[in-house]
Amino acid sequence: MTAPARFDTTAGRYRRLSLGLALTALLALTLADIDWVNSSPWFELGRIGWGMLTPDFFGVESLASAVANTLAFALLGVAVANVTGFIFALLFRWRLVQLFCALIRAVHELFWALLFLQLFGLGTLTGLLAIAIPYTGIFARVYAEILEEADQRPAELVPVGSGWLSTFAYARIPPAFAHLKNYALYRLECGIRSSAVLGFIGLPTLGFHLETSFSQGLYSQAAALLYLFFALIASIRLWVRPWLIPLYLAMALYWLPFDGYWSVATLQQFLGYDIVPAPLRDAGVQALAEPRLWWPWLQNLLLQQALPGIVNTLVLSIIAMVACGILTLLLFPLVSTLFMPRQGRSTGHLLLVVLRSIPELILAFIILLVTGPSMLPAIIALALHNGAIIAHLIGRYSDALLLRDDASRGINRYLFEVLPRIYPQFLAFLLYRWEVIMRETAILGILGIHTLGFFIDSAFEELRFDRALLLILMTALVNMALDQLARALRRRLQLDANPQQARY
Amino acid sequence: MKKLAFLALGCLLSLSAHAATFTFTAIPDQDETLLRERFGKIANYLSQELGIDVAYVPVKSYAAAITAFRNNQVQLAWFGGLSGVQARMRVPNSEAIAQGYEDQFFKSYFIAHHSTGLVPGDTLSSELQGKTFTFGSKGSTSGRLMPEFYLRQQFDQAPETLFERVGFSGDHSRTIALVQSGAYQVGAVNYAVWERELAAGNIDTSSVSVIWETPTYPDYQWSIRGDVDATWGEGFKARVKQALLSMDDPELLASFPRQSFVEASNDDFAPVAKVARSIGLID
Amino acid sequence: MSPPVANGTGQPLLQLSQHSLAYQGQTVLTDVTLTIATGEKVALIGESGAGKSTLLKLLRSQQPQQSAYCPQHLGLVQPLSVFHNIYMGRLNRYSCWHNLRNLIYPTAERMAEIGALAAELGIAGHLRHSVDRLSGGQQQRTALGRALYQQSPLFIGDEPVSSVDEYQADALLALINQRHSTVVVALHDQQLALKHYQRVIGLRAGRVVLDAPTDRLSSTELAAVYPQS
Repeated sequence: MTAPARFDTTAGRYRRLSLGLALTALLALTLADIDWVNSSPWFELGRIGWGMLTPDFFGVESLASAVANTLAFALLGVAVANVTGFIFALLFRWRLVQLFCALIRAVHELFWALLFLQLFGLGTLTGLLAIAIPYTGIFARVYAEILEEADQRPAELVPVGSGWLSTFAYARIPPAFAHLKNYALYRLECGIRSSAVLGFIGLPTLGFHLETSFSQGLYSQAAALLYLFFALIASIRLWVRPWLIPLYLAMALYWLPFDGYWSVATLQQFLGYDIVPAPLRDAGVQALAEPRLWWPWLQNLLLQQALPGIVNTLVLSIIAMVACGILTLLLFPLVSTLFMPRQGRSTGHLLLVVLRSIPELILAFIILLVTGPSMLPAIIALALHNGAIIAHLIGRYSDALLLRDDASRGINRYLFEVLPRIYPQFLAFLLYRWEVIMRETAILGILGIHTLGFFIDSAFEELRFDRALLLILMTALVNMALDQLARALRRRLQLDANPQQARY
Repeated sequence: MKKLAFLALGCLLSLSAHAATFTFTAIPDQDETLLRERFGKIANYLSQELGIDVAYVPVKSYAAAITAFRNNQVQLAWFGGLSGVQARMRVPNSEAIAQGYEDQFFKSYFIAHHSTGLVPGDTLSSELQGKTFTFGSKGSTSGRLMPEFYLRQQFDQAPETLFERVGFSGDHSRTIALVQSGAYQVGAVNYAVWERELAAGNIDTSSVSVIWETPTYPDYQWSIRGDVDATWGEGFKARVKQALLSMDDPELLASFPRQSFVEASNDDFAPVAKVARSIGLID
Repeated sequence: MSPPVANGTGQPLLQLSQHSLAYQGQTVLTDVTLTIATGEKVALIGESGAGKSTLLKLLRSQQPQQSAYCPQHLGLVQPLSVFHNIYMGRLNRYSCWHNLRNLIYPTAERMAEIGALAAELGIAGHLRHSVDRLSGGQQQRTALGRALYQQSPLFIGDEPVSSVDEYQADALLALINQRHSTVVVALHDQQLALKHYQRVIGLRAGRVVLDAPTDRLSSTELAAVYPQS
């Protein structure tokens, strides 16, 4: 008897990776702190629901200036990051540049803002840098990949001795331009979200009012702010035009005051005292030679915070990532021309805009009211938010697929025609998102989940910047390690075979 | 005009443009709309009393209030007990100059959802063990520091080991909402916020109630930087203090609400500092 | 001028001696020995997979400065216009500044030059259209235009007229011969090979199985290049 012939297909490799991820998530689930309490959320949920039905657009003071601030921070921050990120992208073959970029994008915007808050106060510079710095790291990586993956053949055909700049301008940029542009536009959407979220720590953007009205239970106001925010995000493609960008930037520059607070003394204080580990502050650098002075401090920080923080963050993020993947596969047909008629797609788009635009913190709070505190609200919130983002991107990607005219319909089309074609793309997106989900676990301290971000937030709240910085560095290291792992997985599966769309 | 100045959030972004403006802030411990209304009035009052421009800057976190104070973005601040201690540690010669009469005997409430079966008592019931619990903001005196201190005192263990889960709701109103819904079983709040929300009918007393109140401790106070005299002239600090202590407009006082302001000194808060140190919140 | 005869009298321009090449464990070329002299017009024939493209690349690498190369995949920059794609043939001739300027706003002089070339190729009407909107034959002529615009002495082309009709192919191959002193072109059409070239090299499974002047070529020799079926 001969052994039955085995399939050896590319799809088989995707299946094995998916299975591996799912099993890891199941394993993480056994370690995870998941709970469902029998709460009575209806009083509060009723109020939230009523607020959503009766948005109050006139209750919020200086709404127009909050919208303007949100847009101005986003436009300028993304514009600056676009330029610096592009420069780094050109230098990306150097390992040092890669590491540097991984480091700066591993830190959540809110933490960058909290750091700059110490130096520049609550000013324009703080908001701008908090967006521009992490986005530089993201742009650098993605632009480098786009350039790398674009058609290289024209550049090989230019006559010998054409010069670097000429070759670049004619043969390298034009083939990649459409992707660079699309990505920049997508980043602008992310920038608006980031800019709004920076309001949570006090910058005068939409998030400032949103956080206020939400935490005070003024749900009609919160609803108005959310609707406004959805409208901004959903209409981006209508009001962003390449020729209008310079005008928008000029308006943003004019609008934001650049006379922020700044002094050498503050800088000295911050660099020379605040971020110096507490045991070394008085003793000076020579104390480094005496571990007994600083080892207990470091050991305490590592064992009490960093280690459990890393474990919790990893457990939470891998479950959230897999949940996010499942959600994506369910949601993307809603916005795909292959599955939905026009009207259905509009509804789908609306749903995805709403899901991806509600700040995770607010999503988590609402879910927390229902489920009680545990990792559960965090998982649901992160999965919904990120699932909506990938579903949106995969939906757009699937629109570009060319099916034969007599291709099957419905579930058969999904399983036989579409899923195998989008799957490499989908996995690539998902692995990119892992990094993002890790970063976002930072802001969920309200759930009593001790992630790295929880401890960083505590350190900032206790004004212990030495601890905050060390924990941030730990987060960055974990992120960089995960990034390498995801990269290795992608390379092994050759997920980048057609990767023009595979971005954050 | 001055009244409008604090309303315009733009002033957040242009603090140093008004170098000669005497600026103050307050910790965001409760309803911010209310804070702005209250401190807008105070800005007007101080401006009249002192004869200079005075502006109030709202901030989003306790840490931001402290940082603004340290970086001289604000010269005066309405701090909680703990945030005041933290701020004055960082600014040499800064002083607590005034506090509300009631702030000398402040207290926190422990509140519980009815499904827990916990009932009011003279001490915290040992049935607290294993419940889920939420503090307010991580840097709050009445929502974090003192409740944690009394928990440790009674049970001789850290909240993380005492309770099944410990969260930080972010502010007092949210603590009430979370315990009321049963998402968290027990929580600790500022008594003044509880009383106000109760009076306003925002609390469903059939699902949440107070189970214990802490002994009193000193809390909110006005703290001022040591270098204000150098900018606004000799005796300026004393004039600010006098202006705060002599505030007798019932409308102003009611907005806090405090019956009057009394003198305060850094030493009054030594117990708070000691507690903070003992539970490891300050080094 | 009379072209040099096969294995001609001009200076040797391209030379391979017992050259073998393997790629990922697969032998692509075996023991290839040939010399192409300045002035020769050579057609390379053989079934697909015989190693023609590899041989052409190898030949190009011997004279990178002097060769105008037209690959099978064309290597056009899709979003750029026909003008710009043809202009790219001379990126090394002009200053960087001039190149950037022409990228944004073409000078009248370059426009006229390239317009004339495009007219000869029959794509003048598409000069300002981006390549991604053209048919396969038009794209191929654009790629040819880029090679012609280089004005190199040596032309190396891999099926440079595969996407145009017979009549046009004739004209284009004549144009290529007219503008370059030495030409090496891979072709699948034997008729065209015999008509336009003085020498034919046949490749089969990576070996040179035929190398003869066109006028002395027998049909049996030609048939030996292709596998019997």
